[in-house]
Amino acid sequence: MRPIDWIVLFASLVSIVSYGLFRSRGSNTVDRYLLAGKSMPWYAMALSIMATQASAITFISTTGQSYTDGMRFVQAYFGLPIAMVVICATVVPIFHRTRVYTAYEYLEKRFDSKTRTLASVIFLCQRGLSAGLTIYAPAIVLSIILGWPERLTTFFMGAVVVSYTVLGGIKAVTWSDVQQMCVIFLGLIVALVTVIVLLPGNVSFSDAVYLAGAAGRLNAVTTHFDWNDRFNLWSGLIGSTFLFLSYFGCDQSQVQRYLTGRSVTESRLSLLFNAVAKIPMQFFILFIGAMVFVFYLFIQPPMLFQHAELSRIESAAAYPALAEEYQRAFDARRESALALAAAHHQGDSAAERSRVQEYRAADRRVDDVRARASVLVGQTGGEKGFRDTNYIFLSFVTRYLPAGLVGLVIAVIFAATMSASSGEINSLATVSVVDLYKRHFRRGQSDHHYLMASRWATLFWGVYAVAFAGWGKKLGSLIVAVNVVGSLFYGSLLGCFVVALGFRRVGGTAVFWGMLAGEAAVFWAFFGTGMSYLWYNALGCGVVVATALAITYLSPAGASATPASRPAQ
Amino acid sequence: MPQPEGTWRRVYAGVLLYLVAVIVLFYFFTRAYR
Repeated sequence: MRPIDWIVLFASLVSIVSYGLFRSRGSNTVDRYLLAGKSMPWYAMALSIMATQASAITFISTTGQSYTDGMRFVQAYFGLPIAMVVICATVVPIFHRTRVYTAYEYLEKRFDSKTRTLASVIFLCQRGLSAGLTIYAPAIVLSIILGWPERLTTFFMGAVVVSYTVLGGIKAVTWSDVQQMCVIFLGLIVALVTVIVLLPGNVSFSDAVYLAGAAGRLNAVTTHFDWNDRFNLWSGLIGSTFLFLSYFGCDQSQVQRYLTGRSVTESRLSLLFNAVAKIPMQFFILFIGAMVFVFYLFIQPPMLFQHAELSRIESAAAYPALAEEYQRAFDARRESALALAAAHHQGDSAAERSRVQEYRAADRRVDDVRARASVLVGQTGGEKGFRDTNYIFLSFVTRYLPAGLVGLVIAVIFAATMSASSGEINSLATVSVVDLYKRHFRRGQSDHHYLMASRWATLFWGVYAVAFAGWGKKLGSLIVAVNVVGSLFYGSLLGCFVVALGFRRVGGTAVFWGMLAGEAAVFWAFFGTGMSYLWYNALGCGVVVATALAITYLSPAGASATPASRPAQ
Repeated sequence: MPQPEGTWRRVYAGVLLYLVAVIVLFYFFTRAYR
């Protein structure tokens, strides 16, 4: 980071926060503080929805993923347009008509208080776990790549987020998100253009795309079916539809974005904008990773992109031989890449086919040496199962991007962290106050009382997130497990809403037990099978619906227990 | 605490058609460069 980078970084952050606070003037009632007085235009909600979903890990990890595994992760977004259409046609008009502050408030109108409370607690557990991670994950990467003190980075990011979220409420969050998405778009475009410009003079853009494809890095669609394979066309179309139905339809951190819309139409447009824009955006981010891969075909990358772990293995007895082998493997891959590009230009298809085989074999040898270096990390006292995927993109940025642009990319990481974190903190506070505090502890108080409670709850969740992030180091590899655990709760919430909207005879008790059964089924799949996480939501949802229907229609007691007396539709 | 409309069907069909077009485009993109 050079002086110009610091100027770019701080100018971005100051403009984002000050604009958000400026636009949030007058957030002095609960309605304005939590729902912006239902005054937001569709484009602000659309960018806020996008910014809340795009955390820093989206950029750090996704680019690294396409570097190592290709672009097939884009398939995980194929279900998003389907989910958005379903949500626009079903829950958006219902949430607007019933004038709820939270998605779970609707469940009491449809079922009963205990169902609403269970859904709220599930949300608080799930989103509360990930709130700390949202800040911790980028802080650890920034601290390793840039040498920044980890706790100071965590505290600084957390303090900025908490200040504007507490002071300005959802208006500050939304308008800051709009600014943050502008910084993110600008940073991504600059990063891709820079990667392409930095390619060696004898490698054109079309050569780069060809070489990335020949190495399997442009595998945007894979059509084979495998339960245990995370990303293929079928898990993308079916599994991720359920995931996004849960995320955008039942997760308050997203629902609250479009509840601020001034009409059903504005809310729908904000969701449909994401339905259209999100897949190309992910494709773009993954494509940056593929181009970084091509860049490193010709410029030797470090054996491991995490230099602290690389320093650790340099003292191992096996390292010199490994380094020598890595040098040979890299040289062979570079030569075979140049030979393949030349054969491609000449149009000699027979020579091209044999060159492709050589090139792929050379690439596998480089991957093999890197894999053995990762194993060596574990053998020399480092993390077992170490992977450096999250360090590839930022390592490239800090080494090769010109002054000023490094600051811009770091600003992108900060912006993504703050936008995701502020949405989480804001929604956690809303559910805490509306669904628990006001519902069960202090009823019938003044609007000012609940406004202050909302501010204090926002401060509490912000401090909690920073504290959790500060302790992240002590949790070690558990922190990764926590990230996975976050995705274990969605299926039950989705099943509850499916029953609420689709099965009018099912009552609160049946769906309450259905949610617990759905949760048990997902935990069984997580601990007892190798099933890809994209299928958990479909499984949990299916078990909730089946259990609730079985209790309603097979058990005389279940059928009569708290029936849907007020469908609210 | 106080309380706080071409056609949509055509819009939804357009979004789903867009998804099909994107998948087909990506499929041929993958085949062209593998």
